[in-house]
Amino acid sequence: MHEIDLHDLSDDADYAASMHQGSTSMTTSGGSKPSSSSEQVGVEIVYLKDNVAIHPTQHAWERIRGRLKLIKQGSSLLMTWIPYKGQSSSARLSEKDKCLYTLRAVPFSDIRSIRRHTPTLGWQYAIIVLSSGLAFPPLYFYNGGLKEFLATIKQHAFLVRSAEDANIFLVNDFQDPLQRTLSSLELPGAVSVANSPLSSVAPSESSPSWTDGGAPDMSSTYVQQNGSQRQKHNDPRHFSIQVLEKFSLVTRFARETKSQLLREAHGDGFISNARRKHDKKPNNYSFVVESSDVHEPLEDVPVPADSLEKRSNEKHSHNEEAALRDETFEYDKLSLVWGKPRQPPLGSKEWSTFLDSEGRIIDSQALRKRIFYGGVEKGLRKEVWRFLLGYHSYDSTYAERKYIASIKKSEYETLKNQWKSISKEQAKRFTKFRERKGLIEKDVVRTDRSIPFYEGDDNSNVKCLRDILLTYSFYNFDLGYCQGMSDFLSPILYVMENEPESFWCFVVLMERLGPNFNRDQNGVHSQLFALSKLVELLDNPLHDYFKQKDCLNYFFCFRWVLIQFKREFDLEKTMRLWEVLWTHYLSEHLHLYVCVAILRRYRSKIIGEEMDFDTLLKFINELSGHIDLDATLREAEALFICAGENGEACIPPGTPPSFPFEGTSMCYQQDDDDVL
Amino acid sequence: MPSRRRTLLKVIILGDSGVGKTSLMNQYVNKKFSNQYKATIGADFLTKEVQFEDRLFTLQIWDTAGQERFQSLGVAFYRGADCCVLVYDVNSMKSFENLNNWREEFLIQASPSDPENFPFVVLGNKVDIDGGNSRVVSEKKARAWCASKGNIPYFETSAKEGTNVEEAFQCIAKNALKSGEEEEIYLPDTLDVGTSSQPRTGGCEC
Repeated sequence: MHEIDLHDLSDDADYAASMHQGSTSMTTSGGSKPSSSSEQVGVEIVYLKDNVAIHPTQHAWERIRGRLKLIKQGSSLLMTWIPYKGQSSSARLSEKDKCLYTLRAVPFSDIRSIRRHTPTLGWQYAIIVLSSGLAFPPLYFYNGGLKEFLATIKQHAFLVRSAEDANIFLVNDFQDPLQRTLSSLELPGAVSVANSPLSSVAPSESSPSWTDGGAPDMSSTYVQQNGSQRQKHNDPRHFSIQVLEKFSLVTRFARETKSQLLREAHGDGFISNARRKHDKKPNNYSFVVESSDVHEPLEDVPVPADSLEKRSNEKHSHNEEAALRDETFEYDKLSLVWGKPRQPPLGSKEWSTFLDSEGRIIDSQALRKRIFYGGVEKGLRKEVWRFLLGYHSYDSTYAERKYIASIKKSEYETLKNQWKSISKEQAKRFTKFRERKGLIEKDVVRTDRSIPFYEGDDNSNVKCLRDILLTYSFYNFDLGYCQGMSDFLSPILYVMENEPESFWCFVVLMERLGPNFNRDQNGVHSQLFALSKLVELLDNPLHDYFKQKDCLNYFFCFRWVLIQFKREFDLEKTMRLWEVLWTHYLSEHLHLYVCVAILRRYRSKIIGEEMDFDTLLKFINELSGHIDLDATLREAEALFICAGENGEACIPPGTPPSFPFEGTSMCYQQDDDDVL
Repeated sequence: MPSRRRTLLKVIILGDSGVGKTSLMNQYVNKKFSNQYKATIGADFLTKEVQFEDRLFTLQIWDTAGQERFQSLGVAFYRGADCCVLVYDVNSMKSFENLNNWREEFLIQASPSDPENFPFVVLGNKVDIDGGNSRVVSEKKARAWCASKGNIPYFETSAKEGTNVEEAFQCIAKNALKSGEEEEIYLPDTLDVGTSSQPRTGGCEC
């Protein structure tokens, strides 16, 4: 599954286009003056781009601009990114910040992959991931040139496109794919920014520190740091801050983590996460090693500007505090986070633009993207959900859908008649049927009864819920009925207002989510496991906290996962969330990132109040009705982007709502004694 | 842990889906009944302060999902329980017959240190329905089963009307407290409760 696509880049339109101009612009791109370092013997600048920036905070206007270069030295290719002197966009971005981010001659032998991001809005950027699993902060190409950058690398180093993601380019990837997967599963290490040994010397364009071409052995360097000895020029705190920076780019609540970690890192001894390759127990990892031997004031650290948390134990000058206050204000106004702002829901007019004259969806990806960011208008759901759920295929025509609907209607009637025709005498001798029916009847009368659609005695829609669920339990007798299914069906019937169509939509939904209701609960357990891995990746201190409190089973998120937040939001918001999830636009498992987003939002409360399993469960249950959906979705999106391939590596293949593996798919572990 | 035991009493309510576990809990804690409870997914709990002989305890009452399929969660939810309440619906024979399964499943998953003497209380709920005319499990039958399982205290309740709910939970709390005491008999300040010498399973028709 992790085969590397050995295609070269020429299949990529972007790349091909760049090749046309690439050769001419390569050495002189950007029209910048060559730097003095190019005069060194045997060193050739093969790529140079000005105005490549890093955003050390989530604020787009707080950026450090600099010059990106690829340098050919002998047979090795080196990358440098040097910030401009004295051009900070913000007074608070000190020379130290710049120093912190400076990339001095990183050899490509140390680089594992480059992830290309070419958003339609905003700047293109690239994330460079080292072979250690560490990542540099995104480099934003203000003047373009990302394509040329990749093309140039291709000319001078071994670069292949990842089979898993067309936007990931693997450098020097000769490792066993399995090994690579394992190492990418060493989650904590994957977060950070690694850098050359950070000196306190101000950055200077002309003195790349690694020009000998030898790659410093980062693992040994950091392992040493892990011990009590400190190296003057390898301040581990820098390292920790860089780790946090990547988070800080992302979201508001990320700042909680960061300031928290800064507090903890204050105690020094930031552990190396550079090399976990030989230690396959990520749980042993922690961001912070308890160590009391060094306590340095944080003023030395280039504190990122966005630390909003109370940091009573830190000393700030008055100016800094004022700046922080300003920032709070600015932030609330502008709220610049990575997750894109939500859009208004898709309306009929716009919907029609997605259809060709015969009713086919022209670009299903574009449609899914549109719905991902805005959802669907109420009146349009009936039509659009059929596609999102997979009842209709995107390339079907009006005529085909009409035909299928009529077929499916009669098919439903046939299925329904299977239990409708069971006589009283037969039912007497059919315990499993009676029990199943009883269970369903108990549940439908307590499903969403406060909604007018299901209100009142002898409500026909409630009866309809029962009929569909009972029919489903015959259609899929092995899975049968399980509590929670009525929660999934209720909004579908509410939207479809049509029994057979609701049934078939429910059927396709259960193709993905049926494992949630397996007798052994393995569907939920695999998701909770993936969730624990994601939290470990995206919020290691929170993971450690849960571990310490013996909460790693994540049962407190059971309800979230089992019925995809149905009980956490009102009906309208549940439907909005579901249609976003059903697009599977970024990931099939966005709901797990939603879990992480919510947990992270409340992380300081959870940790601060030292919640144990019981309190945590109570707290999570009581969040119901108090979760801001739009903000959570944005944060989930940001977390997904932040986690990148490492996030997806946390989620084993076949985890619901992915389609189950062939062969295991519909094995519901028949147990004659328990077929409810 | 021992200090937690002395102030927090953990009670687990088990029983088939729809027998009224959530309703009983809410009737006892909030003195409220609603026809619109949803099926419990996962677990939840409510707490209530109870007083015994001048000492205050927090009763933590856990309401769990009734479908057998969710039993794998029991390990996490049942641990540290001081008393287990088994609920059935007097109008449903199946829910009564399943009491034994619930009891055994609880003992397996919670693995209490002294399973023989772990306190259970049985509640036959929904006695109000149809004026008792739809009842299929007789009180006699229920009491016989309770007697056979080590004199489990038994109450007939109506969560809807509040019948016997307070009394039942008084007994539940007392049994939970006694259960806690046995584990911390070494703590001198728990002895002044003065009830620890009674045989704990002696049926608490209190």
